[in-house]
Amino acid sequence: MKIVSVDRRQFIKVTSLSGAGLMIGILLPGIKSFAQNTPDCEFFQPNAFLRIDKKGDVTIFVARQEMGQGVNTSLPIIVADEMDADWKKVKVEIAPYGTLPEGSHDTGGSQSILLDYTQLRKAGAIAKAMLIAAAAAKWKIKPEQCAADNGSVVNTINMLTIPYAELVCEAAALPVPAEVSLKSPKDFKLIGKEQKKSNLKDILTGKAKYGIDIKIPGMVYASVERCPVLGGKLISVDDTEAKKVAGFIKLVTYEGTGSPMQVRPGVAVVATNYWSAMEARKLLKIKWDEGSKNKESTEQLFKNFEARATSAPAFEKYKKGDISKLKITSLNSIISNYSAPFLAHATMEPINFIAEVKGDKCELWGGLQLPDWTVGEIIKQFGFKKENIKVNLALIGGGFGRRLHFEFAIETINIAKQLDKPVKMICDRTDDIRFDNFRPANYHRMQASWDTNGKLQSWDHHLQTTSIAITHDPATKDPSENLGGAMEDFYYDVPNVHTGYTHQDFNITRGWLRSVEICVNVFPIECFVDEVALKLKKDPYQFRLSMLEGREMFKVGEGPGAMKQYPQRIADVLKLAAEKIGYDQPRMKNHFIGLATHSFIFAKSYAAHAIEIEILAPKKFRIKRVVAAIDCGLVINPDGLRNQMEGGIAFALQQALKGEITIQNSRVAEDGFSTYELLTYEEMPPVEIYTINSTEEPGGVGEVGLPTVAPALCNALAAAGYRPRTLPIRKEGFQWVV
Amino acid sequence: MASYSITVNNKKFTVDADPAMPLLWVLRDILDLTGTKYGCGVNDCGACTVLINGSARRSCQIAIASCVEQQITTVEGLSEDLTHPIQKAWEKVGVPQCGYCQSGQMMVLAGLLNKNKKPTEQQVNEVMSANLCRCGTYHRIRQAVHLAIEEINSTN
Repeated sequence: MKIVSVDRRQFIKVTSLSGAGLMIGILLPGIKSFAQNTPDCEFFQPNAFLRIDKKGDVTIFVARQEMGQGVNTSLPIIVADEMDADWKKVKVEIAPYGTLPEGSHDTGGSQSILLDYTQLRKAGAIAKAMLIAAAAAKWKIKPEQCAADNGSVVNTINMLTIPYAELVCEAAALPVPAEVSLKSPKDFKLIGKEQKKSNLKDILTGKAKYGIDIKIPGMVYASVERCPVLGGKLISVDDTEAKKVAGFIKLVTYEGTGSPMQVRPGVAVVATNYWSAMEARKLLKIKWDEGSKNKESTEQLFKNFEARATSAPAFEKYKKGDISKLKITSLNSIISNYSAPFLAHATMEPINFIAEVKGDKCELWGGLQLPDWTVGEIIKQFGFKKENIKVNLALIGGGFGRRLHFEFAIETINIAKQLDKPVKMICDRTDDIRFDNFRPANYHRMQASWDTNGKLQSWDHHLQTTSIAITHDPATKDPSENLGGAMEDFYYDVPNVHTGYTHQDFNITRGWLRSVEICVNVFPIECFVDEVALKLKKDPYQFRLSMLEGREMFKVGEGPGAMKQYPQRIADVLKLAAEKIGYDQPRMKNHFIGLATHSFIFAKSYAAHAIEIEILAPKKFRIKRVVAAIDCGLVINPDGLRNQMEGGIAFALQQALKGEITIQNSRVAEDGFSTYELLTYEEMPPVEIYTINSTEEPGGVGEVGLPTVAPALCNALAAAGYRPRTLPIRKEGFQWVV
Repeated sequence: MASYSITVNNKKFTVDADPAMPLLWVLRDILDLTGTKYGCGVNDCGACTVLINGSARRSCQIAIASCVEQQITTVEGLSEDLTHPIQKAWEKVGVPQCGYCQSGQMMVLAGLLNKNKKPTEQQVNEVMSANLCRCGTYHRIRQAVHLAIEEINSTN
């Protein structure tokens, strides 16, 4: 028996059996204990992931949070394929919180498919094995003489079939098997086939219920005025005028709390409807003590970055060779600085949450990407017992990492515990933008040197930013973001590499935004490698390939957490993107192509972009085409993959062209979509998505389509003679037309 | 507070509300028609778009007092079974990611096509560009828009 360590899942035993796929031991916590069967045979539920009822409907419970990334389709496909269910009979529900082991609901880092692939297959295989056993008993044949197909068990001797619906009672009475076999990938029927979103009909008929749509009997509504400066305090509030608004119920105040979620002090107006709450809030007269950190600005922060850029980084992230021994002069090296601003999530569903507190019990409704951490903090802050907290997870109207943070849940409980009714707190759009957990501003000093043959001999990258980790834990020993990032896993073959990180304090809450540090680092890396190529009068495409192709896999990090870097796969997506955009073909006049590639190492996926632009005047351009190439291993749902990659282009173009959060007097200047502009319909360029055919284990997709978009665009502009080094590029005077 | 009789999706409702209360909140908080979404409340995003007498309007900008004797249509009123050509096109293309903005996207197109069954590309761009989608489904919205226009012109 071979023990295979599947990432973060040490409990899976894998045995290889010749010709029979895999045998996987069932050591999955939670699966057995949540087998539910009813005496009247209403349904058969062998584990927490699926249930078959007497009509033959298969309900698949999805533990990961759906927020547009498509886990409510891709994860059920995995279960349904393995159990040979009829996809038309599959219904999808959110797995109730508490029915699965801790961590099962966590949704982030493009990890859902990576983490769940094997256990979901196993969940489906268990059901199938039990249904087959039930049918075999009926037919008085051996289970090996049965097969399963499209929602029925087949007797392979006489080819008779019994639908799963008719086996519910018998299957439910059987013991859950100790071992099951998994399909050989060549027998997949659903995996790899296009499927539309499982809740598509609900979305298009207005029936889909997001957190903001949930209504609890007796529920009231809250609109909250938060302290404008982080670290400030409430001095006084006068609600004389606010009370006169029809529907006003109560004014509630609460204090701020620090890490991890940096809840600001709040003044909440509670009313019978949300509009009344907002109207009454406008009439409040509030005095805040802003504290001492009320004069900070992004302008100053970037000046501080600039001033600190040439000093040694506070934290060494990666070192290879010894740059100090090289002879680096102005003749054999270049230095460039790149920067990018704070960014907001700006999900279309504004942040909202529902809480009800009854004595020592608390019930919650809403979207949470990390519900276990949320519950843990609620226990710490409010003293509820874990068993007295009920969480009802909801569909999320855009995640992008926003609901990895949960200050809104703490706020809503602060309000609810002063009421005798459930309360729905909704952020208006200005609240949603201003009190976000911002992707940190960042500044990069890059230096590269080459030898007499024009081969890169050193690469030095100093990232300065304001740490997310310190927002969550001011005492943290290493404030640098720890999921790899493009600095620790620098993929080009350069003999001497030095990367480092410096944190600068700044009084605003930082958080994770889709692609986090991968976007932060890949932008300067992929622009700078291009810049070096142009400086050396080399073709940027061939220059990259010369440092990737044929290079062996290397490990990033040590021990069980080590990740694998495959430079060849990074080269392969680049080649695919270059081929599809016609990089080697003659170009039209004033047309230029930029490329960028990368590995999204912890999602085990690789992506490259090629962007063709047309220059209309100096620094004025039109995006003609965006080509994306991705290698995410085995593809579960090609339609979902393309949707994510298409959307990733839009999300990343917004960051490249115009997305920026600025801070003045420790306050966010932007207040909505007119000042924090999103990409629009007419700005969306033609896009094409290409996938590497692969049988490698399935990787993540949601974040992988972002990091190479901005550098590919900037490299196209550089090919035309205008090298942007600041995002959004409109800060450098670039203009685009549709 | 006052009492208003309004018609939504061909059904009559009587609601008690402040005359200034926007239709958006009447639909969502009073009538439980939550298919119409709150995105910004200030006319910036289009998530709350409904039809009033067939024209696309942003329900966050319309006081309930001005809705009396108007025909209001929300996404729930397009069809319950995806038979409306716009819903059909959105289904066929598989437009949504999170889906939150999509009712507004479909309603604004419905308003445009009620006025003009064969809009120019420029007219489509102008109308659709006022509705935001953070997931970035614009590529698919564009495909669905063209499919819907084709469908509407082939059946009529």
